[in-house]
Amino acid sequence: MTTIGRSRVKSGPAWTHAAQAGLIVGLVALLETATQTGLISPMVLPPPSDIGVRLAEIVPTAAFAQDLTTTVSTVLIAFVVGAILGLALGIGFWRFPFVGAVFEPYLVSMYSMPTLVLYPILLAILGVGAAPIVVIAASMAMIPVALNTMVGLRAINPSLPKLAKSLNCTRVQLYWKILAPAATPLIVPGLVLGFIYAVIGTIAMEFILAPNGVGFRIGYFYRSFDIVDMYAYILVASIIAITANVLLNRLERRIRQDMQ
Amino acid sequence: MTGPAKTLRSDTEEPTVVDTTAATATGSGVVLDGVQVVYPTSDGSIEAVRHASGTVSDGRFVSLIGPSGCGKSTLLDVVGGLLATAKGSVSINGETVRGPRRDTAMVFQEDSTLHWRTVLSNVAFGLEIAGVSKKEREARARDVINLVGLAGFEDRHPRELSGGMKQRVAIARALLLDPRILLMDEPFGALDQQTRMFIGRELLRVWDETRKSVLFVTHDIQEAVYLSDEVWVMSARPSTIKSVITVDLDRPRVAGTMADPRFHELTTEVWELLRVESEKALQYRGELP
Repeated sequence: MTTIGRSRVKSGPAWTHAAQAGLIVGLVALLETATQTGLISPMVLPPPSDIGVRLAEIVPTAAFAQDLTTTVSTVLIAFVVGAILGLALGIGFWRFPFVGAVFEPYLVSMYSMPTLVLYPILLAILGVGAAPIVVIAASMAMIPVALNTMVGLRAINPSLPKLAKSLNCTRVQLYWKILAPAATPLIVPGLVLGFIYAVIGTIAMEFILAPNGVGFRIGYFYRSFDIVDMYAYILVASIIAITANVLLNRLERRIRQDMQ
Repeated sequence: MTGPAKTLRSDTEEPTVVDTTAATATGSGVVLDGVQVVYPTSDGSIEAVRHASGTVSDGRFVSLIGPSGCGKSTLLDVVGGLLATAKGSVSINGETVRGPRRDTAMVFQEDSTLHWRTVLSNVAFGLEIAGVSKKEREARARDVINLVGLAGFEDRHPRELSGGMKQRVAIARALLLDPRILLMDEPFGALDQQTRMFIGRELLRVWDETRKSVLFVTHDIQEAVYLSDEVWVMSARPSTIKSVITVDLDRPRVAGTMADPRFHELTTEVWELLRVESEKALQYRGELP
């Protein structure tokens, strides 16, 4: 069979989705078998079915509701703060190219730096609680937003500001009717990445220094050897991250379609 | 030079090659009077245009041609009020240009359509900025869309259009402002030769119906002669308007115009003038010995 013939039979979104679902089902089945037969120790990984049952028990509890609320609201606050700062920085770096040129390499290296390790300093300054978590998660979210905003504005076709000037656009019209929509196809991916960073930052920081929240629970159950509960919460954290990612990617695709 | 330029003439030492008889009107139209443009750069300043004078009388189609980098576009930006002069002035019907004006509209070389808007909304954009109601601006935009041959594409987005159609959108947007003078900066520069020729004819048809004055920057000699009443030839930088060629070909220009021996004479004449300047420009850039 030729390559063309093969790709014709097995490609297409329906096939892809089926294969993707099959992969998950297969993996879970494999892990279930391995754990039930004792191939994998229950201290390393309990049977997925146990985790599922425990998760179903946890979800209706008030403690879970509180953890989820804490984590989700922290993520949202961190994202909003990070996005506003990132947009402002990105616009500033674009407006003042000298400042942009000075800060850009540091901002890019902050991408690769594990910002999380700054927590002891923040802990000393801000104390235990929501503040250091928000600060770290927000500063992680800020970086991709700032960089993408700057790049998005720089990439604007120079004839557009010229057009604005020739039409005597006001500053507000220039920003809202030309620059913002023109840069949106690059700003939105920055916001999506920023949101994902806010989720990662929040859960990781909760792990270390929160009194509650999904991340805190994972660490708490880990330290008390409640492995099934730990995995149940890991599943919750994963579901939050995956859901956010899917929704944001859909939003991004729609916006790109409309704006490009 | 003294006083406002009442005739088109060269400001260099060289004699004007072809004098103009059509543009001897008074202060009406666009008058460039000894325009000098200087760009500040990090190491000193660059004199882009040294001394440019000329008049675009009402309803005339004038092309500005010159070696690349000679400041044609710069001069157009000055007329459009986007750039200030270092010396001299530009006036439109006796009023000095001090910024972008309602009676000028610009068309740029690069795609300047707003990708997130439909054709209709793109064409209406200038009036939107001017504060005209949605109903009125869209009704008027539809007329201009028909005029430039984009009927049926009102609800399309620029990504669905060819390069030539996007330039039609830009032309329609400029026309909708009902300017007295249309400033076109190599509007067909990014298009292929055939598209260019067809859209050039379309432009002449639209121009014939609207009778705007046009100042048209191009580096294509055939295009300049085919479209224009006058061709202004610029020198290498720092530039002057070196010569003015009056194009005495009949209108309307048709496909056969290009086969006219006179067309050939005129293009040869423009090329001879341009050749010397292009050589200077290329030597300056080190591309010629």
